[in-house]
Amino acid sequence: MSESLRKQAGRRDLEPERPLPASRFPLPASGHFAERAGIDRRKFLLAAGGAAGSLFLAACDSFGPKKAKPILQFAERKNESLERVLYRHSSMNVPRASAGTTGGAFPSYFVSPQVPVWDESVRGAWRLEVAGLVKTPMKLSLDDLSSLPRTGYRLDHFCVEGWTAVATRQGVRLSDLARLVGAQPQAKYVDFQSFDDDYHESWDIESAMHPQTLVVYAQDGRYLNAAYGAPARIYSPVKLGYKNTKYLTRILFLPERNGGYWSDQGYEWYGGV
Amino acid sequence: MKRHHAVVRVTHWVNVVALTIMVGSGLRIFNAYPAFARKGETFCCYPFAQKPIPASLTFGGWLAGARNWHFAMMWVLVVNGLVYLGFIYLHGEWRDLVPRRGILRDSWEMVKFYLFVRKDHPHQGKNNALQRLTYFAMPIVGIAAVVTGIAIWKPMQLSGLTNALGGYVWARYFHFWAMLVLVVLSVAHIFMVFTVDPYSIPAMITGRYRESWSPEARNARPLIHLLPKHDRTPRV
Repeated sequence: MSESLRKQAGRRDLEPERPLPASRFPLPASGHFAERAGIDRRKFLLAAGGAAGSLFLAACDSFGPKKAKPILQFAERKNESLERVLYRHSSMNVPRASAGTTGGAFPSYFVSPQVPVWDESVRGAWRLEVAGLVKTPMKLSLDDLSSLPRTGYRLDHFCVEGWTAVATRQGVRLSDLARLVGAQPQAKYVDFQSFDDDYHESWDIESAMHPQTLVVYAQDGRYLNAAYGAPARIYSPVKLGYKNTKYLTRILFLPERNGGYWSDQGYEWYGGV
Repeated sequence: MKRHHAVVRVTHWVNVVALTIMVGSGLRIFNAYPAFARKGETFCCYPFAQKPIPASLTFGGWLAGARNWHFAMMWVLVVNGLVYLGFIYLHGEWRDLVPRRGILRDSWEMVKFYLFVRKDHPHQGKNNALQRLTYFAMPIVGIAAVVTGIAIWKPMQLSGLTNALGGYVWARYFHFWAMLVLVVLSVAHIFMVFTVDPYSIPAMITGRYRESWSPEARNARPLIHLLPKHDRTPRV
């Protein structure tokens, strides 16, 4: 709103010397402020449009007021509590019959500049370390994993971006692995760490022990390729894609949550589906 | 006599803020994947796949920011909506909103009036037939937006709901449509308020409204007879 318009629109700002513009419809003094201030249709529309427009532009593509951050974090904590109430071990993901297996069209995300590949000549043989609050920490080779009871599901993948895809995942139930290493009751959280730079994501133990939470080493019937997280990755439909660490190196049972690559940057830590 | 009860006035403006942020952040979330098909598949019913919404219409700055706003503001929207619906149910305002017999005929008369087919403004009470339909539809579409939103928020833990809507892809599509209908109704509402009855704006803030300035009294169409009629009755 321009200064002159503001002056005319606000009754208190009117200069007493200046005569009011004549109204097309002379009204008694008890008229609406619009007539007393002499606002005609054009001025009214300009003023209203200007005010609405500036408000609108102020909001455009904005991160929102910084002061709102504690409120947003409060809402995230409350949402997590609700999501943990809604969580059921018994709820199982079954992709719709009409959904085809996505196959090679399945996107492959990683945070390193190139596809992370475990170079045995530099880093030695790959082992999955299962440690933390466990009775017997273990280092498992891919052969060890393959020899453990195999579980497979055809599962939806829910990406935080809004897309979904379907793949068959085969591997070891994390709950089986937890029994094998003797995870202790104090372990309320699990951290999944990788060799994709410092990518990791920590989970609540309930989600980690879901029957569809798998240490996956095969997708659609073949061992994982490098794009999809070889040699092994965590996968569960109870979590959004970014919570499912690929290129696994270590599974740590922890008493406290340990953040995560994306959760530390502003995405929800819980990331439940 | 106030035109709108204070509860209605407050919930109206809270809803303006909540809905604006929900739509803006929702469009930012949509832009992270501006399509509906599963990866590797096609979707029948959205011709603008992979064309993002202009960033100037979005809110939240980036996907995580938009999600944080969306998942916080949804509570404001839901609680505010429940307060409003509970109030108009208990206080009787729902009578001004539920369609009455002949609503379609009355709406048609309003359309004819706006298109200059009919000369005089159809008789109305607080709301004309088109307003009645719009204000009745808004909460229903709002509820649809919330339900479809829950379905795509928890498609695993609340898979029964998601499946009832035809699965995640369709639920997300219906969520988008609910948003679209809410936006269209809101834009039409705002346009009509400014071009037909701007005197209803203070009425939604202070509650004060003059029946003698109503659109019916002014025989007002969009941008026509916007100013109140001169009272020609002699003063005593």
